[in-house]
Amino acid sequence: MALLYELVWRLLHCLLQLQRAAAAWIRGRVWRRGGRLCRRAALRLPGALGFSTQKKTAKPRRVRWVADGKALEKLPLHVGLLVAEEEQQYTDIANLVVWCMAVGISYVSVYDNEGVFRRNNSRLMEEIMKQQQELLGSESCKYSLEFLNNGTDPHALLCQTVVKVLSPDDGKLRIVQAAQQLCKAVEKKERTSKDIDVTVLDSLLRESKNIPDPDLVLKFGPVDSTLGFLPWHIRLTEFISLPSHKDVSYEDFLSALRRYASCEQRVGK
Amino acid sequence: MSWIREGELSLLERLTANVLKAGPMPKHVAFIMDGNRRYAQKRHVERQEGHTQGFDKLAETLRWCLNLGIHEVTVYAFSIENFKRSKEEVGGLMELAKEKFLRLLDEQENLEKHGVCIRVLGDLTLLPEDLQRHIAKAVVSTRAHNKCFLNVCFAYTSRHEIANAVKEMAWGVEQGLIKSSDVSEALLNECLYTSSSPNPDLLIRTSGEVRLSDFLLWQTSHSCIVFQSILWPEYSFWNLCEAILQYQQNHHAIQKAREVHREGQAVQQLESDHSCVAELLQHRGNGKPVDPQCRQTALQSYAASREERVQRFIGALQQKRDTFFDHLLSPTAVA
Repeated sequence: MALLYELVWRLLHCLLQLQRAAAAWIRGRVWRRGGRLCRRAALRLPGALGFSTQKKTAKPRRVRWVADGKALEKLPLHVGLLVAEEEQQYTDIANLVVWCMAVGISYVSVYDNEGVFRRNNSRLMEEIMKQQQELLGSESCKYSLEFLNNGTDPHALLCQTVVKVLSPDDGKLRIVQAAQQLCKAVEKKERTSKDIDVTVLDSLLRESKNIPDPDLVLKFGPVDSTLGFLPWHIRLTEFISLPSHKDVSYEDFLSALRRYASCEQRVGK
Repeated sequence: MSWIREGELSLLERLTANVLKAGPMPKHVAFIMDGNRRYAQKRHVERQEGHTQGFDKLAETLRWCLNLGIHEVTVYAFSIENFKRSKEEVGGLMELAKEKFLRLLDEQENLEKHGVCIRVLGDLTLLPEDLQRHIAKAVVSTRAHNKCFLNVCFAYTSRHEIANAVKEMAWGVEQGLIKSSDVSEALLNECLYTSSSPNPDLLIRTSGEVRLSDFLLWQTSHSCIVFQSILWPEYSFWNLCEAILQYQQNHHAIQKAREVHREGQAVQQLESDHSCVAELLQHRGNGKPVDPQCRQTALQSYAASREERVQRFIGALQQKRDTFFDHLLSPTAVA
């Protein structure tokens, strides 16, 4: 009997996997076909009108993105991009960051649970700069970017979007370090244990930049877990899952933002 | 309505349970039982009726979990943030809790039969005193049971819990039980309200909300999280099966992520020990270089003494917690 149950179980999971693969395949096809159509249209248009492609496509797209951002009922202040996939695509993440900038999101965090993005911080930043040029075209100078690295002071620029690359070290380890710091103060008799509460710990974990907690986390990939993403800071964060960050489209991104805009927060009430 | 529901699954449910059990099963499941008020609104009944039905659903869900071989369940019953609700609703919820914990005392025999241990996690000092006493009675009388565990988070938020754990460690430092350098992820785990439970494998939130709302943030960092759109009082056996199926699909990837995390944790502990030993040796040897053999023995003996300090501290902390409940039940407290 046990053998039969196991057989049925295996069959069930095979079917589920098949369903997932089919969904991914269909998504891929639609995206590719959509992409091809766009490219074809873009090639035909400037030929007929005699303009160069760059200027013609960059501006309306940017204007549309800004309008999309304004049309939303509420926009997250801080978006986390959580990649729960084996392979990391730098261009796709860079696109997402640039879209966030374009619709007017102030803080973007990028995370994966093995710290791959942290280790390749500069590669990601380069890619973001490149995509910024490409997607926002000549207007890109209007968008200033700030990259926060651990230890280095951010540039004193007038900034619109702050991008931070996070790793598991920013999660539980940072809480443990804050705890150690408080205990050291107690050891030196500078504090007593009675002084310690949520506010004290929160101000230690908030760092100097005063970045707000993420309002929205876009989770990419098949794993349904936060995988150690900032445990302290995700108290009220909305989680929206997308199947993959690979070849993610602006429409996918926008529909996630729309879903977020329709959510109501009651905070215990 | 009692805490433990007797009864068996139907044939179809039993077959499904057996099929599911052929795969990896979660050992510990946590629930955010959301949607009682929306349910009441939908059914045009009193809000309090929604909460009562929500409790009944909990009793039913516990039975399903037992039938599925899940022996530990943690539920979010009342958040510290919930004190912000209307006075009337908070009062109603406190009354419901009082009634249910009193009821629990009548069911001693049944609880003993099933070996149910009930723990209440949260800052109980925020609650009315008579409720505190009822809770203490329930906790103390089921303390020795060890077949299945029900953790009720009451007057709880995860941030409060973490801050409280840090406070306990600072207390340990004040008492001279541990050093500040002994503070580690593993020690923080031991100071949380959930120290006697393994981390949940699966977290389920009902009613379509996609937030954690300050629930077990630390403990679920590598758990499978399932958001379901059904309202809690309407939750069914099949909803639970669906969540478990999703857990099974995630099982491999999450185990791998847990492994990566565990390795990182071990590395951190080793690094911390290394730097403590280096400091000690420098202090002792006046900066003279130390041969690796000597360093290795020093490292081992340091790790052993750290472990000893930590164990002593955890023992003291446990005693402090037990005293809290015992004190609530002592005759002087009643008077």
